[in-house]
Amino acid sequence: MSSGVDPSSLLAACGITVGSPLLAAAAVRLRWWPDAPRRVALTGLVAALLAAASMPLCRDPGAGATEFGGRLGGGAMVSVDGVTMVMLPFVAACLALVIGTAPRRSLDERSTQWFLLGAAATFALFVTAHPVLIVLLGAATALPVWRATRDTPGGRPAARVYAYTIGVSLCGLAIGTTMMLADPPWERGCGWVGTTGGWIVALAVIVREGIFPFHFWCPALFSAAPLPTALLATVPQVGSYTALRLLVGHADGVANELVILAQLAPITALYGGLVALVQRDLRRLIGILAFTQSALVLAGLAGTLPMELAGGMALWIASGLSLTGIGIVSAALEGRAGPLRLDLPQGRFWDAPALAAFFLLFGLSGIGMPGTLSFVADDLIVAGSLADHLHGGILVILATMFSGIAVIRGWFGIFGGPTTTDAPRHAILPRERAGLALLLAVIFGIGVVPGPLVTLLERASATLLRERHTPPVNPAPVSPEAVLR
Amino acid sequence: MTAAALTIPAGSTEGSDFVPWLVVAQMAAPALALAAIGVPAILGRPLAERTTTRLVGAGFATAFATAIAMLVILAARGFPAEIVHLGTWFAVGHHEATIDLVADGLSVPYVCFSTGLCLLVNAFAGKYLHREPGFTRFFVLLTVFGLGMNLMVLAGSIDVLFAGWEFIGISSMLLIGFFHERPNAVQAAMRAFITYRICDAGILVAGVVVHGAVGSGDFDRLFHGPWPDARCLVSPVIAAVVAVLMIFAALGKTAQVPFSGWLPRAMEGPTPSSAIFYGALSIHAGAYVLLRCEPLLDAAPAVGWLLIAIGGATALHASVVGRVQTDLKSMLAYGSMMQAGLIFVEIGLGWRVIPLLHVVSHAVLRSLQILRSPSALHDRHALVAALGGPPGGARSLADALPPAWRAAAYRVALERGYEDMVVMRFVVEPFRRVVERIDAAERAWTTWLGELRLRGPRDRGRRP
Repeated sequence: MSSGVDPSSLLAACGITVGSPLLAAAAVRLRWWPDAPRRVALTGLVAALLAAASMPLCRDPGAGATEFGGRLGGGAMVSVDGVTMVMLPFVAACLALVIGTAPRRSLDERSTQWFLLGAAATFALFVTAHPVLIVLLGAATALPVWRATRDTPGGRPAARVYAYTIGVSLCGLAIGTTMMLADPPWERGCGWVGTTGGWIVALAVIVREGIFPFHFWCPALFSAAPLPTALLATVPQVGSYTALRLLVGHADGVANELVILAQLAPITALYGGLVALVQRDLRRLIGILAFTQSALVLAGLAGTLPMELAGGMALWIASGLSLTGIGIVSAALEGRAGPLRLDLPQGRFWDAPALAAFFLLFGLSGIGMPGTLSFVADDLIVAGSLADHLHGGILVILATMFSGIAVIRGWFGIFGGPTTTDAPRHAILPRERAGLALLLAVIFGIGVVPGPLVTLLERASATLLRERHTPPVNPAPVSPEAVLR
Repeated sequence: MTAAALTIPAGSTEGSDFVPWLVVAQMAAPALALAAIGVPAILGRPLAERTTTRLVGAGFATAFATAIAMLVILAARGFPAEIVHLGTWFAVGHHEATIDLVADGLSVPYVCFSTGLCLLVNAFAGKYLHREPGFTRFFVLLTVFGLGMNLMVLAGSIDVLFAGWEFIGISSMLLIGFFHERPNAVQAAMRAFITYRICDAGILVAGVVVHGAVGSGDFDRLFHGPWPDARCLVSPVIAAVVAVLMIFAALGKTAQVPFSGWLPRAMEGPTPSSAIFYGALSIHAGAYVLLRCEPLLDAAPAVGWLLIAIGGATALHASVVGRVQTDLKSMLAYGSMMQAGLIFVEIGLGWRVIPLLHVVSHAVLRSLQILRSPSALHDRHALVAALGGPPGGARSLADALPPAWRAAAYRVALERGYEDMVVMRFVVEPFRRVVERIDAAERAWTTWLGELRLRGPRDRGRRP
């Protein structure tokens, strides 16, 4: 445990972050406030957000990982480091905004309950580095998504696609992790078991992250699942976190696997950018943009330079915020006017001018517009990729180019064209405007002044890269009881 | 950019004086105007028309006044290159994105001219767009454009230049599609944006090459000295690569062959935006960037010939096609394209001051023509009615051609030099067909997988 840490407060913050959505799920399930599932869920998620945001007060942001509980394979049961401190508040904020602004009809008791369980599992995943817990929590994050999709009318085929692909990923993750733990590839004298395990884990990450040719589950999920559920499945990027903990942290032993990831990710991003150009419905377009962005994130994370890692994590945040915004606006539009097609201009601008403005700004913030964090992230990833492997950098540039065109085509497809109304019929609700304006303020705030965040991410990247060259040691675990005593 | 970095460090300029503060004011004025009208609009409380025009006018007037003050100070000193370092925007390891602005003999006259035009167009548009439903939107986009222009013109590093370049592109696209209920406007906006986006890849790659070559995006690491006598500091190969990439980026914004098809269509936007974008400032953005990078062109003379070839071809194409246009704004668009081509030729020839004068004079004339075009049509109709028929036409150069040649040239001009046909038939359509097939195959695979059921023995027995 590093100096400058208040362990009991940190552990309590972790507990509140994971526990409050669970408690909220129980409250929804037991109908403590039967008429207010949104309020209950939002309370739980805001509590989690506050607890996650308080973590930097409990420990020095520049210090190494603070760990509690047993360690295995270099990771402790509860591990809070620079990555956790940045990513956890971001994920909690996105999920709270999704619940706070979701249309009422998508917040029935069952959906809300599954959403909260998924959120709790995601938060728990982000505070652990223990390989076995990562596998188990990876499964726990997928289950609510599958159930909520399956319960949606017409959602069974998409739920099957999701179940098959994510099931394969989880099986691979379990088998590969077991093999890696049995014969750690980062130790000298590693045999074929550890090496094969590393490759299987890399394959599992490829499937979970939606990397080509296993990307298809993402647009399928967006096509059928409730939008809050689809955002729960994609915004936190469980695959990226898994890669960060199980592969990037042990890169000395899995260098070849990371090279393959670094090669496949830009190809996926380019593929996504291309097929996004010809989409005919909005949901599928968002799904494609989601895997395109997550591929770019992985392209950064699988790199070997600090700027690539920092860029990957910055894009993780930027694309998550942008995707959340686009998802909220799309859910609001669908809640008013039904499914949205892109074949012909729908002419919805005067129907919902505020939503049009928000959609455009969130779309631009996801494609590297100056003044937003994605500009910074793209700059770092492209510079790192070109320095690392030239063709990867060129592919990243092409991918962002095509994604940008697809976003603007989508915007004109929904809001352009002859209109049937002279006045807004579907005015934006106050809660939607407040949530979206807050999200926009965050996006532009950290985009105009990215220095502090980039410094945090650089420190986190430096720690990860240092760990690559330092084989993990197993110090005596600190039990929660000892900490509390 | 950190709060500490916003302070201007002492000794960051060649003389401790007002110039750094004037440069900051130049940036801050349109940015504050944008915030003042944009934030209430996004919060659902747009300001009144008069307040909007006054705020935007105040922003541009402040920027114009500071630009004039800078011009006077720098002219008194013989136009040295004053570099204002506003800090590091972000940095990871050795990779730094600095906010460097430069006030010199190129940027300051240009920024005087650009902010002055923005101020005039603001005054014109306040009346022209009165009670237009998208009034606030227009002024928000005009301010974004003004901010982008200032960033691009005063940029002292390629990162800042790219930021301004992107703002110009986005505001341009949104103003072309301003009347979004018209399908033509939407298509024209998409076409312009696709062209911009493809060509922007050039400036992005150039930025990365510059970072890789000199470890920073600052222009003073690429070339040094006051404009127009700056000297190239990098090897001829790097200079040639960066120059070619910059030319590629400039082709899109400046509507040069083969990326010129978007410009005539861009006139779908409101007249004030057409005037300032496609008559005056946006159309010359590429020329400005090339003027800024002239030391690189000097270091790689072969690239200059490329520029001459492209500019010459564009000027010829626009001259021929522009003659058969039947609407005034399209004719003016081709006129702009032709002049931009000639400016490219001048830059390719290694001239410095003449292209700058050409840009300024052409921009002023063309924006006046475009702003005047709606009333000019009205006057023409009145003239025709008074005369009882159209006035006699002047003889043109085409009359000197043999009739067969004239007919062939007419056909070529009517088809806009077959540029659109070639691009659509041989590039866009094959590309679209391939991507659609890939997407269809993916959908079929997903559908098959979604229908695939893994049944146990008990389920299998129950199947009807």
